[in-house]
Amino acid sequence: MDNTVKRLLERLVRRIPSRMLKTTLDKWSRLTATQRQSIDYTESKWALTEKLLAICEVFGCSLTVLVSPWFHTDVIENPNLGMWHAFQLMDPQDDAHSVELTQFKEQFKSHLSELIRHVSIKIKKHTDEAVWIRIAWGDTFSRPNHLKPTYVVHYLQTPYVFLSSLTSKQKPLLSQALVLSTRYQAIKDANLSGRKLTAIRDLLMKQYLQVFPTKFPSPLAERNRVVSNLHIEKEQAGSAANRHQMACEAFGDGLLPQLQSAVYKLETKFRDHTNKTMTERDEPFRCVVKFASTNLLESLRHSASSGVASTPVTPLLSSVPLKGKNYFVITDNGPGPSSQK
Amino acid sequence: MERPQNSVVRTPIDSIVAQRRSKNKSYRQSYRSCLGAASRLGHTPGWTARRLNTSRRTKSHNITEKVNPEDLALLVKTEWQLSYVTPLYQFRHTQLRSYSRQLSAFITAEKQQGLAVEVEGAQTSFRVSFSVVQGLGETDDDAETVLVQIHSKPVFAGKDEAQKLVWSGWLTCINGNPEYLHSLPKDFTCLPLFGSRGAENLTSLVKSWFQQTFDCCFGPLEINQTCLQWLAALWTNCHIESSIQHLKMIWTLPVEPPLQITYTVNPQDAWELWNSVRTPSLESREEEETARSIDIEEVTRFMQGLMSHFYRHFRLDLSAGRLSQVSSALGSAKFSGRVKMSNSRYVLTTLSLLTECALLKMPI
Repeated sequence: MDNTVKRLLERLVRRIPSRMLKTTLDKWSRLTATQRQSIDYTESKWALTEKLLAICEVFGCSLTVLVSPWFHTDVIENPNLGMWHAFQLMDPQDDAHSVELTQFKEQFKSHLSELIRHVSIKIKKHTDEAVWIRIAWGDTFSRPNHLKPTYVVHYLQTPYVFLSSLTSKQKPLLSQALVLSTRYQAIKDANLSGRKLTAIRDLLMKQYLQVFPTKFPSPLAERNRVVSNLHIEKEQAGSAANRHQMACEAFGDGLLPQLQSAVYKLETKFRDHTNKTMTERDEPFRCVVKFASTNLLESLRHSASSGVASTPVTPLLSSVPLKGKNYFVITDNGPGPSSQK
Repeated sequence: MERPQNSVVRTPIDSIVAQRRSKNKSYRQSYRSCLGAASRLGHTPGWTARRLNTSRRTKSHNITEKVNPEDLALLVKTEWQLSYVTPLYQFRHTQLRSYSRQLSAFITAEKQQGLAVEVEGAQTSFRVSFSVVQGLGETDDDAETVLVQIHSKPVFAGKDEAQKLVWSGWLTCINGNPEYLHSLPKDFTCLPLFGSRGAENLTSLVKSWFQQTFDCCFGPLEINQTCLQWLAALWTNCHIESSIQHLKMIWTLPVEPPLQITYTVNPQDAWELWNSVRTPSLESREEEETARSIDIEEVTRFMQGLMSHFYRHFRLDLSAGRLSQVSSALGSAKFSGRVKMSNSRYVLTTLSLLTECALLKMPI
């Protein structure tokens, strides 16, 4: 049996957590019921792979056949492997909004195959309106490498595309194919990346609980509140409620999308009235600030509501959910969050 | 804090020595009592005494002249886990060979504990070597640095494979407080800073052997905020001589979930900021830039400058959090007590700072 197929199978088996192996293999229509029953899930993964290889030998699996069921479990159910980067399509043409699935599929496959000779494309529509594309890249001399596929997720009728595992060489080819098949004119980096696809998707498409400024935000007072110290509570209640409201306005309420980091490249001038020498400098003070947390937006919201970050929340931080970005370059001439006093 | 004479148990039988001790009213002074008389009055040492030196001289030392470059190479470019050690009783630099044998036997015995039957072939023999890194001490009071290395064969090694270095550690005292060092009774050697690298079980074995043999105590050394800030300033100060390439500081904020902020500053800009907060030198111009002493106020102003620039943009006060790591091309230091020195020229400055930290942390 082909070595590449063997390696691919081994790798795919390895990536699936052991407890999900049974459900995964059950979904594989190629296996007959008897074959499925003959697989012993208490064996080690290595033994399991050997068993599967033996089964595949019988009816000579081709690479694409092998890949198809695994595609689903490999990534769709584990969308948190690796980093996802968000891109945005720009300048729609007239018929961009009416592109539907079959048209997109045909167009994408034909455009990408034109641009690069050996490429293996699998497109699948998921239940939540997302179109998943798995691309294995080859070149003029070699067959597609299934061990390092690129995944693309696109929501039809929106200008958003999410990519994972793309090299700089493959990027222009893929961009070209995407732009042509979606009937837009350009694609640009949305400066948003994260490990969880659902999180960056929710952030970009604003699918989380947003809070809008109101004039009279006071919620209903609870009946049986446990009060530690009446005086402190009274004094702090007003400002605490205020901070909480502003924090929610900036970042949202309830469960927030799980973003892991935000990076700010600062190139602004140093301004401090206690330090004359630095303030008179012409050159910017260059530094890079990276915020990291298991759930960045929650951390930021908590820091605003607890007073660690002063409210109203600075536009630099609130831009993360507002603009759906987590990479910023801030200069003195830039719009918005620059040269703050 | 006055220490009662429970060291009477270990008083040498030699009566002359005992006599001398009582003459000098030399109960062992605590380190803190050396720093201020006020601390002797109360039951607890005065908080004012428990501080690092407020000013220090920095000089890049071309210590390759003094120290064997091979020994130096062992110290730099690796990350060490630090602990403090209380003074060692009857430690002799002349008996290192004997110590090597003893420690080797101790480790082998501990590893064999619980094995009822002699297991064939699985005997990992440990070869321990104690050595002295000469020339590392700054003053005459500093005891010579001791280096301990453990070699062993990897578990599934072939017959002819040489033993590899599996664990190394060192004990040092650089620029230790002279008052304190002089107040120690004669038989005690002060090597307060202990660094180790390697498997945790070997580290604890080495520590227990030391504790048994020299009646000392080990404890974790956390590098506190002030110390980390000192390191940030000291390293930035060296930018002119050897580029620090970047000044990276990591803060942790106490929010839910915890937020980690990595603040990386361009080295040239960091140096200019540092230069702008220095108090103008009152001493003669001939003195080297880098040999000037640095004050704690300058360090504080430097950190304030960095934090205020951050605040201006993010309206987030970094002092609400904790500085947990500082790193640059010259080395890195973490709150948890892990330190790495990447440039041999600044080893002494870093080690003196850390020796001070260790002396302060010691409970006696």
